[in-house]
Amino acid sequence: MATLSMQNVTKKFGRNVIAVKDFNLEVKEKEFLVLLGPSGCGKTTAMRMVAGLEEVTSGNIFIGDREVTELPPRKRNVSMIFQNYAVWPHMTVYDNIAFALKLKHMHKDELDKVVKETAGLAKIEMLLERFPSQLSGGQQQRVAVARAIAVNPDIFLMDEPLSNLDAKLRVSMRTELKAIHDKAGATTVFVTHDQSEAMSMADRIVIMKDGEVIQVGSPDDVYHRSRTIFVADFIGTPPTNFLDVSIKKESDGTHLVNPHLNLLLEDGMAKHFNSYKKEHLILGIRPENILLVDSEKSALSAKCLVSEPQGSHQVVAIQLDDNIIKAIAPAWPTIAPGTDVHLNFKQETLRFFDPDTTLAIND
Amino acid sequence: MNRNPIKIGKLVRRTIFYLFIVTLAVSIILPAFFLVSLSFLSTRESYSYPLPLLPSLKTDYSLTHSDRGYLLSVYDKFDKEFQTVLDTAELKKMSVYMEAQIGTPYSIPEIEGRIAELENGTEDTVFFSARKNLLLNYTTFFAITRDAVPALLRSLQIAGLTILVSLSIGGMAGYAFARYVFAGRDALKFSVLFVRMFPGVAIALPMVIILSNMGFYDRPIGLTLVYSVGSIALTVWITASIFMGIPESLEEAAQVFGATKWQTFLRVTLPLALPGLAAAAMYTFLGAWTETVSAIILTQFNPTFPVVVYQSLLGAVGNVNLAAAGGLVLAIPSIIFTFFIRKYIQQMWGGVTI
Repeated sequence: MATLSMQNVTKKFGRNVIAVKDFNLEVKEKEFLVLLGPSGCGKTTAMRMVAGLEEVTSGNIFIGDREVTELPPRKRNVSMIFQNYAVWPHMTVYDNIAFALKLKHMHKDELDKVVKETAGLAKIEMLLERFPSQLSGGQQQRVAVARAIAVNPDIFLMDEPLSNLDAKLRVSMRTELKAIHDKAGATTVFVTHDQSEAMSMADRIVIMKDGEVIQVGSPDDVYHRSRTIFVADFIGTPPTNFLDVSIKKESDGTHLVNPHLNLLLEDGMAKHFNSYKKEHLILGIRPENILLVDSEKSALSAKCLVSEPQGSHQVVAIQLDDNIIKAIAPAWPTIAPGTDVHLNFKQETLRFFDPDTTLAIND
Repeated sequence: MNRNPIKIGKLVRRTIFYLFIVTLAVSIILPAFFLVSLSFLSTRESYSYPLPLLPSLKTDYSLTHSDRGYLLSVYDKFDKEFQTVLDTAELKKMSVYMEAQIGTPYSIPEIEGRIAELENGTEDTVFFSARKNLLLNYTTFFAITRDAVPALLRSLQIAGLTILVSLSIGGMAGYAFARYVFAGRDALKFSVLFVRMFPGVAIALPMVIILSNMGFYDRPIGLTLVYSVGSIALTVWITASIFMGIPESLEEAAQVFGATKWQTFLRVTLPLALPGLAAAAMYTFLGAWTETVSAIILTQFNPTFPVVVYQSLLGAVGNVNLAAAGGLVLAIPSIIFTFFIRKYIQQMWGGVTI
């Protein structure tokens, strides 16, 4: 196992398309790092550069203290799990796992031992003589995992490995992949566009957009301390609610005001604006941090547009002009559409964003 | 009661369907059967009317005296009577006729034996039968056609070389078309097909000039080049679509797991492309093996096998049954090759496509 370091890595396709821009990343030993972002954000390209499947336009990549920037894939000692599994259809499961070991001229007995061990770890020891076409998608995925473990790589790369599985299997494979990672203690880079996958698996999440890193942090960090509007919007279902507000300083304290809202900030919160000179900001509030309150404590009153029961809770949608706010409320009592609802916010969870730079003000 | 119309409708549909299938089968099988049967007929049989469906295995003869010597008659199964075929006193002529025309080898001593029976016996006619040598047409074909065996070997050599050239060049080009994006790719891919738009005859004369300038006229290498041009085009299209069907990630996986580009090609790409390469090889073989028109023009003293068969048909030798035997010899390698390669075309690892 080893660390991975990417320094000022840039990838251009042709002359004008910049897929990855000045990418800097340090992955610690045994860390499970997730590259997260919408499709086309460059996360897969970044990973493929680590694998050596894409050439680096500029910058350097180190695995441990080895520079691998110019090395071909086979000399990097990484292993990869592909989105479509990429198990070789003309080889049995055994041969798929043994492929890399044979190329390393591993002794037959040892090879046999390693193949059986890793097959056991991936729970496919009974399928060794089968061909991939005789396996289900989940089983093929396990073959890909076993193949990746068998070579004992420095870095594990996983390119959306769960996206081709059906929803239920995907969730259970998450747990297993994570368990295998913990058991093998492998440094892992995992690419996904599924934020819930990222949240549930990652030690740290790297959020990318348009080839650039927007935020790096633990799942808690990116969720509760989103650095930009993009991150706050991208992470979480339903996503963060945003309200355009203006700052009004009055005798009883600082108010955040818009035509629907009049929120008196608690003492600790107003200090975030001390160095902020603009009059407007964008208020970000997660749905679960919106409270349904009595009318006298209300900061915002409106009619319920629709309520979506989720079993354990309900999602209440409220229309403000052309903006829809979603709040999470207890499952009971159900709120009928058209009912007046009064909302207030858990103030310590509020995020304030600069409307021009979209960056968070309170950090 | 009202089920009947439905049943009748179904019956009619089925009947039409099976009639169609049978017609199709007959129209494919009949000519082939006819060729095979014809190649075993004797010269006399092949020019008789109506033509026998199956070759006879033996022939009944009658021998009797005549003014000039002996009268040899052959039993005609259709007319159900003996027909006189020869009136001669020369036993050698009789023996040659029996072998060459009727396909029943009969030596002079054997004929002398029959004549002795005739002279010593009480009857004025002697009946006897002779067994037919079924392979006579084949041995005769190779015996009398100029150059048949060398031509056969030459044809095999040309077909093999054409496969080699067009698979290596066409396969590589197909891989490039499938894997790389470059300026003018589509135009180039189309222009490869362009060469197939010209019939061989149309460009034969320039071909003769070019090949003789290269010193390849009337040599197997010349025909190989000419055939390769056409089959490279076909190979490019077949292999390009096969390579396109092989996910790039399979190759990438091989590279990540320790293979060089060459190992990746040998261990992953090539085995996966085998069915397509086999199909391309088959088309190339069939094309090069049976091609006649260009071969007639581009060879002079060193013809290919189809040219020899063609010449035997033309009348230089002039027996349709010999030509049929030659034709079947021409067909056999194609049939063997197709059966051999079929295995690979059908082979899809555990019964599933890539």
